[in-house]
Amino acid sequence: MKSINLKVNQITRVEGHGNIVLKVSGGKIQELKWEVTESPRFFEAMMRGRYYEDVPYLASRICGICSIAHTTASIQAVEAAFGIQPSAQTMLLRKLLFNAELLESHVLHVLFLAAPDFLGAGSVFPLLQTHPDIVVMALRLKKLAYNLAEALAGRKTHPLSCEVGGFAKMPDLKELEAIRKRLEAALVDFDTVVGLYKGLRIPDFTRETEYIALKDAGEYAFISGDIASTDAGIIPLSNYLKVTNEFCVPHSTAKYTRHKRDSYMVGALARFNNNHKQLLPRAQKVAAELGLKAPCYNPFMITVAQLVESFHAAEDSINLIDQILSRGVATEDNAVKPKAGRGIGAVEAPRGILFHDYTFDKNGVLTNANCVIPTNQNHNNIQKDMEALVPLILDRPEDEIRLRLEMLVRAYDPCISCSTH
Amino acid sequence: MVDDEAIVRESIKDWLEDAGYQVATAETGEEALELIGKRDFGFMILDIRLPGKTGIEVLKEVKAQRPWIKSVIVTAYPSAETTAEAARLGAIDYLIKPVVPDGLEKLIRETIESAGREPTVTTVEVRPKPPVKAPEIKRSVVITREGLKTLVEGLAEDMEVVGVKSRNGKYDYDKITAFAELSLNYDVSVTPPTRYLLPPLETLFKFKLGAALELKPAADTTRRAIIGVHPSDIKAMEMLDEAFMATNPDPNYHARRQNTVIIGVDCLNPSPKSFAPSMGTHLAETGFDLLLTDIGDDRYVVNVGSAKGDELLEKHTKVREPTGDEIARQKAVRDEAFYKYRLSLNVPRERLPKLLDDSYDSPYWESRSATCLSCGSCVMVCPTCFCFNVQDEVALNLKDGERLRHRDGCTLIDFARVASGENFRHDKASRFRHRIYRKGKYILERYGRIGCVGCGRCATACLADIASPLEAFNALAESARIQEAARRVISEIQPRTELYTPRPAELVRVRELTAREKVFEFRFKDGSALGQLPGQFVEVSVMGVGEAPISISTSPTRGKSFQLAVRNVGDVTNALHKLQAGAVVGIRGPFGNGFPIQALEGRDVLLIAGGIGLFPLRSLLQFILDRRDSFKRVILLYGSRSPAERLFPEELADLSQRRDIEFHETVDKGDATWQGNVGVITTLIPKVNIDPKKTIAIAVGPPIMYRFVIGELKKRDLADDNVIVSLERRMKCGVGKCGHCQINGVYVCQEGPVFTLTQLRKMREAV
Amino acid sequence: MKPKVAFFDFSGCEGCQLDALNLDAGDVVDLLNAVDIVNFREVMTERADDYDIAFIEGSVTRESEIARLQKIRSQAKVLVALGACASIGGVNCLKNHLPMEEALRIVYGDKAGYYDTIPARPANAVVAVDYYVRGCPPVTGELVKVVKALLLGKKPEIPNFPVCVECKMAGNICVFERGKTCLGPVIRAGCSAICVTSGRHCWGCRGLVDEPNVDSEKDILQKYGLTVAQVVEKFKIYNTYGDVAK
Ligand SMILES: Cc1cc2nc3c(=O)[nH]c(=O)nc-3n(C[C@H](O)[C@H](O)[C@H](O)COP(=O)(O)OP(=O)(O)OC[C@H]3O[C@@H](n4cnc5c(N)ncnc54)[C@H](O)[C@@H]3O)c2cc1C
Ligand code: SF4
Ligand code: SF4
Ligand code: SF4
Ligand code: SF4
Ligand code: SF4
Ligand code: FES
Repeated sequence: MKSINLKVNQITRVEGHGNIVLKVSGGKIQELKWEVTESPRFFEAMMRGRYYEDVPYLASRICGICSIAHTTASIQAVEAAFGIQPSAQTMLLRKLLFNAELLESHVLHVLFLAAPDFLGAGSVFPLLQTHPDIVVMALRLKKLAYNLAEALAGRKTHPLSCEVGGFAKMPDLKELEAIRKRLEAALVDFDTVVGLYKGLRIPDFTRETEYIALKDAGEYAFISGDIASTDAGIIPLSNYLKVTNEFCVPHSTAKYTRHKRDSYMVGALARFNNNHKQLLPRAQKVAAELGLKAPCYNPFMITVAQLVESFHAAEDSINLIDQILSRGVATEDNAVKPKAGRGIGAVEAPRGILFHDYTFDKNGVLTNANCVIPTNQNHNNIQKDMEALVPLILDRPEDEIRLRLEMLVRAYDPCISCSTH
Repeated sequence: MVDDEAIVRESIKDWLEDAGYQVATAETGEEALELIGKRDFGFMILDIRLPGKTGIEVLKEVKAQRPWIKSVIVTAYPSAETTAEAARLGAIDYLIKPVVPDGLEKLIRETIESAGREPTVTTVEVRPKPPVKAPEIKRSVVITREGLKTLVEGLAEDMEVVGVKSRNGKYDYDKITAFAELSLNYDVSVTPPTRYLLPPLETLFKFKLGAALELKPAADTTRRAIIGVHPSDIKAMEMLDEAFMATNPDPNYHARRQNTVIIGVDCLNPSPKSFAPSMGTHLAETGFDLLLTDIGDDRYVVNVGSAKGDELLEKHTKVREPTGDEIARQKAVRDEAFYKYRLSLNVPRERLPKLLDDSYDSPYWESRSATCLSCGSCVMVCPTCFCFNVQDEVALNLKDGERLRHRDGCTLIDFARVASGENFRHDKASRFRHRIYRKGKYILERYGRIGCVGCGRCATACLADIASPLEAFNALAESARIQEAARRVISEIQPRTELYTPRPAELVRVRELTAREKVFEFRFKDGSALGQLPGQFVEVSVMGVGEAPISISTSPTRGKSFQLAVRNVGDVTNALHKLQAGAVVGIRGPFGNGFPIQALEGRDVLLIAGGIGLFPLRSLLQFILDRRDSFKRVILLYGSRSPAERLFPEELADLSQRRDIEFHETVDKGDATWQGNVGVITTLIPKVNIDPKKTIAIAVGPPIMYRFVIGELKKRDLADDNVIVSLERRMKCGVGKCGHCQINGVYVCQEGPVFTLTQLRKMREAV
Repeated sequence: MKPKVAFFDFSGCEGCQLDALNLDAGDVVDLLNAVDIVNFREVMTERADDYDIAFIEGSVTRESEIARLQKIRSQAKVLVALGACASIGGVNCLKNHLPMEEALRIVYGDKAGYYDTIPARPANAVVAVDYYVRGCPPVTGELVKVVKALLLGKKPEIPNFPVCVECKMAGNICVFERGKTCLGPVIRAGCSAICVTSGRHCWGCRGLVDEPNVDSEKDILQKYGLTVAQVVEKFKIYNTYGDVAK
């Protein structure tokens, strides 16, 4: 009978620190754990006492990959608390900025972090020799996303121009026009990626769970809407705590969550399962080509859902730029009057639904903060997936089990330091 | 006197001997060079057309071997090329045959006098004015707003057009794509238009690393019109022209300047912080191609300032003659504007230098600078500030690189810090004072133009609210009269394209001296000689790392290669230390004045070297030993920290054997092997016997040494004129531009590094 | 021999490391020609304990991280602090204003006992640091600049003048003129004043210059309408680890 003592210490090609522990003796699973060892930084404690203006700036530092998502959720929470309604221009710019990050993050995952697994490499660096076109293209796409974010917010990691009330600096329309051209070209690049993914064998594994995402009647939701669950339907944003139900486990510095079942999933696949009808036409078509059909219960398909969303984001960005170009941009007065109150901001970060919930005193000083991060909502689901997966592959060699488990974790594209914050 | 025509040769010889000069003659260049190799001359008269070696070739060799010899060339057939070539090789003038004795004698007398005269440090030698052809054209026309629009649109087709635009309630220069974007009625631009002549960051030249050093100049030749320049900024540009084009013409600046059209506009609504009238800069008569005055009703009076301005009007638009009424109107709006200025200087601006002279020790500097943030905002927004820093930037392939210059400024903490850590202006007060002195005194004295045009930008930019020179001047107000510095007009000049690009030199040999010092022998790739004077220095480049000033350690009498001895203290010096024979470095120079050799001749010479002060002194010592007969007693005192740190020990051993030199040595701390003197270098001075009437002392060593050595020499009654030192300062450009080496009004790289104590006493920051 | 380069992350957002990857393809090739990247958990599976240059990202916030950093120091020839967290402690030090138990309680409530933490500190509070790549995050390409400098054998050029210098070079209108406030006059430049250029102000992510006139800056902030508490708040965001935020 088989014995396994497997520990993946600090799994690589994910953001943050996590371990996989599997102990099997006599063919029986003794221990199977997804451990999150990331050092917590105590953002909720650090935010207390901060002036509202610095809160989104600080929130951004929760995560280096999805800093735009955190900044946006944070700004929207402050605006909700102060009763500020952002202008139509601001919403257009915010969505476009949001797309930039989604594109960058998905490209990073689909092509740099996940692809080496499928192409049998340890990292993207050797691919420079074996698949130079793919790497050059990936860098090109990343650069495009960076440039789009730079045009709108000064930089991609920890964006600057977006502030409470609106944008502190208007983008240069000529620059946007040039980026629009590059987005068109990016759609062609993405087609190449589709070709690549079509040839890959995505592990066949399914486990149905609850899928939670933002939902907006008007569009495939990213920065607006209420909470949608495949188990429970629409839940108003104000009730988010009833959905997340955070709890602590000793082996994880990130909190866990659960709703209707033992665990739930957020992220690209959860969004797809809830909102696939609202995807733009190109994305719909690519989903069909790649065999992604709602509802999909295979977590390994998250990467595919991300690729589908990349099409959506590129196409949507082109539309947004067209709107911005046709209406022009004008500097707005973003003056803000703080007032006492609570506000919740929710967005769909690349890895799933993200909540920032703040309370301010009358001077605009933060008195209480709660942030629920996509990956901390997924940790429990990763654990449950592992528990379902391991028995199916227990007969395989240890190395294969290890790789399969790592691939499962990577499929979730976990953002661990973010989840611990 | 070198001429192949006996009659000319002999007659000039006779004239000059009658006038009291010693004259030797030579028939050919070869003969002349041989003579010069044996004896020293102060002056050479040289025919250009000679059998064998031509006059130009002779000049070249003389320049390399005896750069201090003044030459005049004589020719029957003057051509622009040969005279220019001769001037480049250091000939001070040319005479056309037949030569008249009076003219020649006068020329020699003046040259010798000016060489013998002690250069007074705080006054600037103003070169004779070139033929004044300042405003090429002076006429006024009238243009309508519509006509102006046509002009701007026309210009935009030919060149880049920048102008003043409104931005967030302020105004600034930017590219103009449509006439409507221009704001011609503005108070002050956030950044000065001088940034188009001297950008915050620019490439001086590009290079490729490798065995054969490839250098490529990188001047910006974009044709550009700047529209809306206020008279005060026009005056600032004229000041920059003076700094960057009058001496050591700067190729990058020159390229921009030549390609720039300046269309000024009278400032009718001055900023409340401006005090232009007090600085005499609210109106401009020169320095522009066109100058507009808005006289209302969509009409402008245009003053045409150059032929180029005229051409542009002709080419792009229609103008008409002004009516008498319109001319009167121009005067009226200018007068009206004049009365809008809020601030004024309480002393005549001619008195500023004297006022500052008398205020060096004022408590004002200390107290007013207490809140200074050393943030540099004042210098970064100033149209007349131009100091810079230089850095190498290399691409990731570690091959392609460029040498960049970027703005720097004297209020920043590290501006005067050198590698050893010493900061020559370490406190806020001295930096603050230095800036105000530049604005009111140093620049005026050096360039004959005021260093502050009263735009008020610094006053707006300074958060501590202390930067306005006006405030400082008024606070220091005192009276005295000085002459208004002479004005110069820049005429046609050629930029020195090689000003910043070094010449490739090959490392022939390296030798380790001590753990920290090595001596390097270099030879120019093109076979030419360096042509140094003892005491001069070069800028050595290790491409990709940077450039550092290093004294030349060998005498010009020792052949074409030259040695640099270098202590490893930082980036460049460290990179040098890693080089092997065969490596190629870049050399610029020689720079600086060097030791006053003529003044030493026939005198007792006392050389005092502390530590690596021996490096520059070694070249002088070699020079003296090679022409030992020209000097009387030669005494060398040398001090090192420990026996292990003694430099050139074999050469020292040699010296101690020689009978024609008195050599004394000491170390600060002895060890078991050391039998000689122990103690600091000053302890050697009482040991030698000095005749104060006959002796000239030259000391080179660390800053701390000077104070004590000078004290000791004064005890022996040496006159201030006969005590000479060489100063170290931070240096970047070596050509009197970047500002780093400045001590009060003196640029050490130009007037120094060698100074007499008399000069030093006038430079308060020096010791 | 190509120098071996390793990246290590401590407590931080990992933005610094990810931004380091934001290069053009040509630059990636050139970089890999010049150095061997032997450790970069974020993007590669292989790892090695043999390296010459170690980049440290994040601050130290747990006992276990102290030993880990010391071990890296003992193996690396050159240790470079990457980003604000590693260079000056960064935003993480905001929690140092609270007792650690309080911070644990605010975040984990009654389960605080599961976890441990110590006051956050920069790398140089634990080991000797050779060079700093400052900023939160550092500007794109800054890390490459350091690598190039090390390869060329010179000290990486780190400005010791305030952000205002670059802000003026960029032609910005000072935020004080727009009625807002800024830490630029006392913060080390190197970022081209990107925050002001992007419409905001300087928060101080690159740390103080060598001889900052903090008193004067505090006076100026008050002159422009900030209360004493707000002035302290300004310095707190990044510059808590020194003691200016008092
Ligand atoms: C006229 C003159 C002659 C000199 N002669 C010699 C010599 O013969 N042998 C010798 O070993 N040293 C000499 N020095 C000192 C030498 O120039 C510095 O040690 C050297 O510039 C240090 O440069 P670095 O790049 O190694 O150091 P870094 O600290 O990396 O210096 C950076 C830059 O700052 C400037 N800088 C720093 N220190 C000085 C300084 N002391 N003087 C001028 N610029 C400085 C240079 O531009 C240098 O490139 C001389 C200095 C001067 C002014
Ligand atoms: S004088 Fe003012 S602007 Fe100049 S460095 Fe000092 S504080 Fe800055
Ligand atoms: S010193 Fe100040 S007032 Fe004078 S020219 Fe410079 S910026 Fe203008
Ligand atoms: S310095 Fe800033 S960008 Fe870097 S890890 Fe820390 S928080 Fe993230
Ligand atoms: S905005 Fe900030 S950095 Fe820029 S000049 Fe003003 S104080 Fe300095
Ligand atoms: S402006 Fe200030 S906060 Fe912004 S990057 Fe520069 S140093 Fe950091
Ligand atoms: S002015 Fe540049 S070194 Fe003297």
